[in-house]
Amino acid sequence: MSSRPQRPSSPGPEIRATPGAFPSTPAEDNSPTISSHYSLSQAVHARRAEFTKSRTIRVKVGTWNVAALSDTEKDVGGWFIGGKGVSDKLSGLRVTDEDDPKKDEHGNTLDLKDIESVAHQEARRTKKVSSLPRHDPGSLPGGDDIDIYVLGLQEIVDINSPTEALRPFVDPHPAKKWKRAVIEALPDGYCRIADQQLIGLLLLVYASPAIAPTITSVSSTSVGTGLMGYMGNKGAVTTRIVLGETTRLVFINCHLAAGTDKNMVDRRNWDAQQILNRTKFEPVYDGSGVLEEFGPGIGDEDFAFWFGDLNYRLDSLPADDVRRLLMLHTRNEYDSGVLSSKKIESELSKLPNATISGSNHRSSEDSGFSSNTAFTSSSEQSSVTLPVDPHSDPASLQTTLSSLLPHDQLHMQMRARKAFHDGWREGPINFLPTYKYDVGSVGMFDSSEKRRGPSWCDRILYRTRKDVLDYERKVREEDKAKKRDEELQARGVAKAIADDEDVLFDYDPETDGAENDYDENLDADPGVVVTKLGYEDRLHLDYYTSHQRVLSSDHKPLDAVFTLTYDAVDTDLKAQIHQEVARELDKAENEGRPGVTIVVDHHSPDHDGSTNDDPTSASFEGVNFGHVRYDQPKTRGITIANTGRVPATFGFVDRPSGEHQNGASPPWLSIEFDRPSNNQNSNANALQEYTLPPGDALTVDLTLRITSISQVRLLNDSSQPHLEDVLVLRVTNGRDHFIPIRATWLPSSFGRSIDKLIRIPEGGVRKLQHQRPHGSSGGSSTPVKWSAPREVFRLTEAIEELVERAAAEWGMRGEGGDEKPPWEEGLGWPFVEGGWRWEPGKEREGLKMRVREALDTDQAFDTTWTPDVPALWRLEVLAETLLEFLTSLEDGVVPEHLWAGLEAAIIEREKTKSTLSADEERAVILDSLASSPPHSVAFTFLTFMLARVANEVAPLASEPRKSHPKATGRARARTRSHDPARLRRRQVEQSLAALFAGVVVRAPMVGGRERERRASEGRRMRVVEVFLVGKGVG
Amino acid sequence: MSARASTGSRPGGQGRFAQFKLVLLGESAVGKSSLVLRFVKDQFDDYRESTIGAAFLTQTIALDDHTTVKFEIWDTAGQERYKSLAPMYYRNANCAVVVYDITQASSLDKAKAWVKELQRQANENIIIALAGNKLDLVTEHPDKRVVSTVDAEAYAREAGLLFFETSAKTAENVRELFTAIARKLPLEQAGARNLRSNPRPGVDLRPEAPGTQGAGACNC
Ligand SMILES: Nc1nc2c(ncn2[C@@H]2O[C@H](COP(=O)(O)OP(=O)(O)OP(=O)(O)O)[C@@H](O)[C@H]2O)c(=O)[nH]1
Ligand SMILES: [Mg+2]
Repeated sequence: MSSRPQRPSSPGPEIRATPGAFPSTPAEDNSPTISSHYSLSQAVHARRAEFTKSRTIRVKVGTWNVAALSDTEKDVGGWFIGGKGVSDKLSGLRVTDEDDPKKDEHGNTLDLKDIESVAHQEARRTKKVSSLPRHDPGSLPGGDDIDIYVLGLQEIVDINSPTEALRPFVDPHPAKKWKRAVIEALPDGYCRIADQQLIGLLLLVYASPAIAPTITSVSSTSVGTGLMGYMGNKGAVTTRIVLGETTRLVFINCHLAAGTDKNMVDRRNWDAQQILNRTKFEPVYDGSGVLEEFGPGIGDEDFAFWFGDLNYRLDSLPADDVRRLLMLHTRNEYDSGVLSSKKIESELSKLPNATISGSNHRSSEDSGFSSNTAFTSSSEQSSVTLPVDPHSDPASLQTTLSSLLPHDQLHMQMRARKAFHDGWREGPINFLPTYKYDVGSVGMFDSSEKRRGPSWCDRILYRTRKDVLDYERKVREEDKAKKRDEELQARGVAKAIADDEDVLFDYDPETDGAENDYDENLDADPGVVVTKLGYEDRLHLDYYTSHQRVLSSDHKPLDAVFTLTYDAVDTDLKAQIHQEVARELDKAENEGRPGVTIVVDHHSPDHDGSTNDDPTSASFEGVNFGHVRYDQPKTRGITIANTGRVPATFGFVDRPSGEHQNGASPPWLSIEFDRPSNNQNSNANALQEYTLPPGDALTVDLTLRITSISQVRLLNDSSQPHLEDVLVLRVTNGRDHFIPIRATWLPSSFGRSIDKLIRIPEGGVRKLQHQRPHGSSGGSSTPVKWSAPREVFRLTEAIEELVERAAAEWGMRGEGGDEKPPWEEGLGWPFVEGGWRWEPGKEREGLKMRVREALDTDQAFDTTWTPDVPALWRLEVLAETLLEFLTSLEDGVVPEHLWAGLEAAIIEREKTKSTLSADEERAVILDSLASSPPHSVAFTFLTFMLARVANEVAPLASEPRKSHPKATGRARARTRSHDPARLRRRQVEQSLAALFAGVVVRAPMVGGRERERRASEGRRMRVVEVFLVGKGVG
Repeated sequence: MSARASTGSRPGGQGRFAQFKLVLLGESAVGKSSLVLRFVKDQFDDYRESTIGAAFLTQTIALDDHTTVKFEIWDTAGQERYKSLAPMYYRNANCAVVVYDITQASSLDKAKAWVKELQRQANENIIIALAGNKLDLVTEHPDKRVVSTVDAEAYAREAGLLFFETSAKTAENVRELFTAIARKLPLEQAGARNLRSNPRPGVDLRPEAPGTQGAGACNC
């Protein structure tokens, strides 16, 4: 069963919701801060040459199928760590350096001649101790010459036993036994880096004290390919490590399907492919500090080592012949008389004259096997013919091996591109097949009934990143060549059909004929390997041999020593450079921020010259609007200049201030840029942004205008006559600039209550000097100055006068003119549009403002106009102002409480059904209002004025004065109702009454039925109307 | 995997990287901008203009050889009239430095008010440091000190704040202040962020490698 690689325990690469942007904009778009970690790591990576140091280490990879035999672990220290048990003659590997004699632990020179003889070794073998020969100084590098030990074991438990295969948990004891044996043999300080077990498969990785701390990203995993394709009786255990932060190594210990059957080769190939496909490791942080997207597998590393019992056999050769042929060599190891020796001799005596031929395409000084070259070699040879007479040249072990190797299934599969063809290589096989021996013997091949054919089941393959890339390139080129061939063929045919004109094909010998490129791969040294992270590493195979004199298993152990030169990160240096880079990046980031300068234009003086009479204004850094009045727009300019080195994007952002106001500016301030925004088409609520190149500037007009009466009331009532706010200009990726706004409020008579207005001193509301005029309700009462608001009196008086004048002037023009008088164009004239001779607009607004100013400062209206302003215009402006003034009143001329009493009285009357004369009606109303004299007086002013206006604009032909002598009462009544003048008069009365009732009477919202609402509305209108009807001219 | 993995200097890996938002608050002229200038550029100005706005700067510090913390610093305006804008800057801050001037009693009151506001309105897990600045002024003239170290420290402890007396002028305790904040930030809780798929800033943590991957496990 395969144990899956564990997922990283940390949250991994999924996106975390950021806890909100912090003033959101600076970080939101492509700012330098975004990629900061990425760029930091990249910048550090770019300087890797400064913090990496070349390091050379030795890696020993060993593999051994221990056939579930007990006490095999007693040998592991000797052969794997000690390098012992190599039979010099049978390995064909001249590993013993005569000039550098080995010493034993006591410093005594050890002579190879002192090594225990094979006969003696076999004879004394007991299970209690190591089966290795005594006095073996060890022929391979071991101990602390090796920095990383990688041991792959197979069959540490009986994989054929169903109990083992189906065990629901792993029995830790066998693995423990092995770990103990290895660690005891290792020099002090060596650490286990990884261990992974899958039933019988065990992979152990150890590192020296110097190297262990530089190993990271260790990830181990298993893939089962056994029963049903998934069980762990066959498969692989694999470990990935990263060395010195730069170099990825993968170790694969496998046990592939056994069996000599032809179809078992395919099964072994399938197993290998499964291992390749299904092995997945935990992600590694790559050179830029970014976690890999998803678990890497085999092929993503820089160096891979694949070893174990691959179980490939010698194909098509009679097992017995091979056994005997090989025993010709092993018998030389024995002194005669030993048991095995006798057995061997007896077998050899049966040797027929058959010979085994090998192909000669490989030299005997084989430099190894590379899958990249293998598939270009000649076709397999399966014939069994002679060239070597084993009797004549038994000493040449190499010749024998060379004759057998072409039949090695693994090499054949590699050549056929069926397995291990994608870049895998193997060192030269100069040793006897490692399988299958009688347990306890050095050289007796399986003498049991089965007489298994000797095979190189156990192998150590390796592959560099370069090998993989070379293979992939080779395949690509072959594909290309194949396509070209097909094309050529197609064209050739086409050409034959067409005329016989010569067709020249582009044939480039440099790129075509890819086979040539592969000769270099014959070298056992893969050369410089550019790693995944861009470092240049080297891997060299130093030794590849079996340990013939290990007797405890039916397989001989096998190991290979590699020298690896790689660039390792020096962590101290890296930390230093990391810090340097961070500092530089911060500096670049902070200095590269956009910057703007804001200049407030102070040069726009007020029309009224009252600009900066505020003593604090000189020191004020913001935009000072000076004095501002009700509904008086004032504009100030600011200039924003890009004084940075990069384009600057900015805009006014929402301020969090206040309960009622959000947004980029308060409601009384509008912001207008001199150009459209970058995102002018987007939603109006979106932040409007503007971009300026360095050195460029733009202007922004800020216009202050207070139109809201509630705002006016707030300001009038405030003891602080200032309007203050702050605009926030945010430069994307830069700083925020605060632009304080200030204005000084000039109190207005608008928006007040009648009770307050009658207390305004002579000289107007401005004379109050920002003291609040207290109403009678508020504590210390300011003395009452007027019987009614002076503003009402002044406005009504002026309007009456002007209406009269206007009518008189019109009359003087003679009635013959075509032009209709303005009052005939609109029934609400002159209070509302319709007949106005002066179009609403800026000038009219300006004049209105001056009228209000005259009211507030108690100046005569005459000072307001220039002589050229026609009387009609003056009238219109005053009339409009009056209406606005009445509307702005806090309580109204007939406040709610007065109206309540009044309406009750009217309803009472209505119930009696008695019809009242107009005079009686008026008396009721005035009676009711009399409870509040100022309101009553104001009401009288207004109604009186309205009556005058009605008389002027719709006179009743002075009827009462010159009554027709013939007219009877009835006739008069009839004429009346049909008289157009009368009709018009009624209309004027009604519209003026409706208009003024709406602003004069403050009635609560009446809920309930429509009829009641209408009735109440009618009553309100009647209250005004009754003062306009039947009153005559005067 | 055994103990060695956790004994500090674990080599290899690319290290953790975290980005945090830091806001400076405090009365005008206590030296907020000066502290930032010292921390970011290692400079000091005797005459600095009062900040009208909020300055934005970044600074990266390495806590050890595998942890990097990047601060996004917002240096706010201390003047009273801009007080209402402060929430824009502390609202999403991960940490705050509240500064007072050890020679101005009123500035500590103001600092306490800020702490209160932060504890009420800012992120629940905000890390607050209290910095009593202008330490250099009292080294020569001890009588200039009006806020005693003991009192301020007691207050900081009670309110759960980091506490340092600093001098932007001499650089004393400035780096220590920011480093202490970085150490207290929740590096572990925050998860890894893959920048390739998430180009948004924020708390960004990149553990070197999941715990199970560390080497250095040793059985000997
Ligand atoms: N002696 C001394 N002076 C300092 C120190 N820190 C700041 N100052 C001075 O104090 C003054 C105000 O410093 P700033 O950094 O501008 O103060 P701030 O807190 O940013 O003020 P605002 O921007 O108005 O909120 C400057 O003149 C600095 O030179 C310090 O540690 N020692
Ligand atoms: Mg400042």
